[in-house]
Amino acid sequence: MSAVLPNLIALVLLLGITAYSTAGGVDFGAGIWDLLAGGRATGREARHLIDQAMAPVWEVNNVWLVLSIVVCWTGFPVLFQSAFASLYLLFALALVGLVLRGAFFAFRHIAEDPRTHRAADVVFGVSSILTPFFFAACLGAIASGRVGLLQPSTPVWEIWFSPMAIGFGLVSVAATAFSGAVFLVGDARRTGSSELTTYFRRRAVIAALVLIATGTAALGVIGFQNPALFRAMLTGAGLPFALVTMLATPLVAFLVWRGIYRFYRVLTVGAVGSMVFAWAFAQSPYLLPGQLTIAQAVAPQATQVLLLVVTVSLVVVVGPALGLLIYLDQRTRLVE
Amino acid sequence: MAALWLAGEALLPSRIQMAFTLATHILLVPLGVAMPTLTLLMEGIGIWRKDAVALKIAQRWSVVMAVQFAVGAVTGTILSFEFGILWPHMMGRFGAAFGLGFAIEGLAFFVEAIFISIYLYGWKRLSPRAHFLTGLALPPAGLLGAFGVLSANSWMNTPGGVTIDAGRLVSVDTMAALFTPALGYEFWHFLIAIYITAGFVIASVYAVAWLRGRRDHYQRLAFAVPFTVAAALTPVQLVVGDLSARALVQDQPAKFAAMEITWATRDHNPEVVGGLIDGSGAIHLGLELPSLDSILVGYSPNAVIRGLSSFAPDARPSVVESNIAHLAFDLMVGLGTVGAALTAWYAWVVLRRRRLPDSALFYRLAALAGVGSYLAVESGWVTTEVGRQPWIVYGVMRVSDAVTDAPAAFVWTMLSVLVIVYALIAYFFITLLLKLAARWRREDATETQEPEIRVPYGPPA
Ligand code: HDD
Ligand code: HEM
Ligand code: HEM
Repeated sequence: MSAVLPNLIALVLLLGITAYSTAGGVDFGAGIWDLLAGGRATGREARHLIDQAMAPVWEVNNVWLVLSIVVCWTGFPVLFQSAFASLYLLFALALVGLVLRGAFFAFRHIAEDPRTHRAADVVFGVSSILTPFFFAACLGAIASGRVGLLQPSTPVWEIWFSPMAIGFGLVSVAATAFSGAVFLVGDARRTGSSELTTYFRRRAVIAALVLIATGTAALGVIGFQNPALFRAMLTGAGLPFALVTMLATPLVAFLVWRGIYRFYRVLTVGAVGSMVFAWAFAQSPYLLPGQLTIAQAVAPQATQVLLLVVTVSLVVVVGPALGLLIYLDQRTRLVE
Repeated sequence: MAALWLAGEALLPSRIQMAFTLATHILLVPLGVAMPTLTLLMEGIGIWRKDAVALKIAQRWSVVMAVQFAVGAVTGTILSFEFGILWPHMMGRFGAAFGLGFAIEGLAFFVEAIFISIYLYGWKRLSPRAHFLTGLALPPAGLLGAFGVLSANSWMNTPGGVTIDAGRLVSVDTMAALFTPALGYEFWHFLIAIYITAGFVIASVYAVAWLRGRRDHYQRLAFAVPFTVAAALTPVQLVVGDLSARALVQDQPAKFAAMEITWATRDHNPEVVGGLIDGSGAIHLGLELPSLDSILVGYSPNAVIRGLSSFAPDARPSVVESNIAHLAFDLMVGLGTVGAALTAWYAWVVLRRRRLPDSALFYRLAALAGVGSYLAVESGWVTTEVGRQPWIVYGVMRVSDAVTDAPAAFVWTMLSVLVIVYALIAYFFITLLLKLAARWRREDATETQEPEIRVPYGPPA
């Protein structure tokens, strides 16, 4: 029991991060395509679709982030302290991006003057890139092993600019662009616009290729900076997930390219989620590579139990509620 | 000067940043937690009495609620990251105990976010009764969330339920850590405060409408329901607040001494209204009511009150902090008293004359009651937080030991960025609310329905 529970809490944390990377990633990706949609006239239709697609979820996704951070500080206080002591700048930048993104997404609906409206579009788009980049850079910095226990062990700027931090950041931007485009293909199909469908199909394929390229490059960086992690990803616990990513990403690109609309969204979630899992499982049982294991960092047992209770309640209460919401959302689309 | 600041310690900017972001977030919390209840009350009236106007009010309130909730979520997310960015040492040491409340809040918030969406979607897509019933999930979720946060804050004021060995937290007693002594008074006092605030703030909008000449069923209903709720609770708050103050004498004596600017431990302690204390314990300005403090606390002029000088200088609020806590406390009590007077006026007219007041002075005061309650909430938090100084966890950990090792320049910069970003958010938020209000006025004037403005959590327009 006592050995299982800490791992369960770590799994909850991992699931929170993964949910944010996948569900939130789709959202960030839509923001990226919004930025790349061009001027007001050219980009109008794509932007309209993106707006529609993001409507019900753009705030709810935030919940995953908050949940992860709360589980982190309650369940693994030492990890939380160590991460923030070393990475405060990266977190602060991600945070500012997050807030600007939400604020300007809301604002562009009420801006009337076209120039202001355009400015809001740009801020929204740029922050959609910065936020996932910096969040993932934090994970990359942790994975690189440079985040010291409780306090930074090297000058902080060395941690922030470590190749793995930048590598993880870039991969995450590519991954969000990829999943954003794939889901927009689905949304475009629902509106019945074959033009928009083609538009996003093309972008999904390009993003997949970019993701494969950056992913491969990042893997190289990992091999260079943290060989142990590299080995574990390719031969150890991370392998199954790494394989899923490597197979699913090109498969999605193929499906979307050929217009075979089966399982392409599930596979996308699988591809992006497996990337996170591949890293986490390769790094386990370490939370900070070589310095801090799950068992060492975990909070006292009573706290673990409460976290588990909260998690179970969440599944029991939120599951059905989410179902109802999705059902109502589908009905909206039927009504219109 | 500026260069000196940038090179200085991170403590000052960290405290300012925490105070600034918390003070902002707390403006959003009362409506976030209490508005669903008021909206459901209005919807219930609409269904029960088959009153289309009440339903229309409820629907409009639900839109405001969603916008407000979204801003609350954004500012709340910032707060949770700040715990790590500004106070990493506190989190690393005590996260396992302090975090418990927030884990519960996380759950509550999740439920609230989803059910707010369902509520907004449901207006057109569920039967009235089903819609009302799904809405019923909102008040308990808000309550649970408030419980979580207040539990965390109470833990900082009266830490308990933990075993510390060599500075390390070795075991936690969940129940004892969640239900610390301070929770008993903080929770109820806060809960009542947010319902008072939500009631007065919403009613103040329609008091302004009255002053502008609007006198219809819509205005009367939208004013009377929230105002009645707030008015009924205000006298209760005086009693509960008094209980809090008394409990502080036991639990947090240094805070109490600061609130009352009591320097020497003594009997026949006067109650000082207003006024400032200096470093030698002398009181300037202010009105001293002889022995009243002793009487209020111990029901006798002979009751002995502990003074600030009985605590080591590094274990009590500084002179400046004491003065801040004192004035904030006086402001809260003063506002509570004014609110109770307004309530008495309202109750007299409603109960004796069986109608709403029709005096312009009353509506002017009612229009100010919204701002007044926000001020009371803010000053209450200032009392609690500043009065706890220099401790972040009372008696266990100092704020200066919790603060980040990041350079002061970083924190100053982040603070400046946040101030700008918050100004933007406030501007957007207010613009959106004004737009909604203008539109609704147009709709009422022309009896047409304009296409919906899209709000967070709501269905696509
Ligand atoms: C509508 C708002 C409102 C009103 C009318 C009052 N308060 Fe209050 N008070 C709050 C809103 C508030 C608050 C913002 O909700 C606080 C901050 C922390 C807390 O738990 O509640 C608070 C804190 C607070 C504390 C500090 C508790 C602590 O640090 O643990 C005391 C002693 C009082 N109050 C006492 C009073 C008294 C004696 C009042 C009236 C005669 C009064 N309050 C009216
Ligand atoms: C005065 C006490 C507080 C109460 C009652 C409270 C309550 C709430 C409520 C009801 C919300 C939902 C938004 C809304 O309804 O407006 C919210 C959001 C939030 N609050 Fe507070 N809050 C308080 C203080 C704090 C503090 C000190 C923190 C610091 C961690 C915090 C963290 C959060 C977070 C993280 C969110 C957003 C959750 C998300 O986006 O998923 N709150 N809070
Ligand atoms: C780790 C958690 C917390 C830390 C480190 C913290 C620390 C601080 C500090 C240092 C200040 C500034 C005090 C001063 O300037 O003298 C402050 C202010 C404040 N805190 Fe806390 N606090 C925490 C949790 C909370 C919680 C949970 C709440 C509410 C639920 C809260 C409410 C407030 C408010 C309203 C202020 C504003 C006071 C002012 O305007 O001066 N705090 N906090």
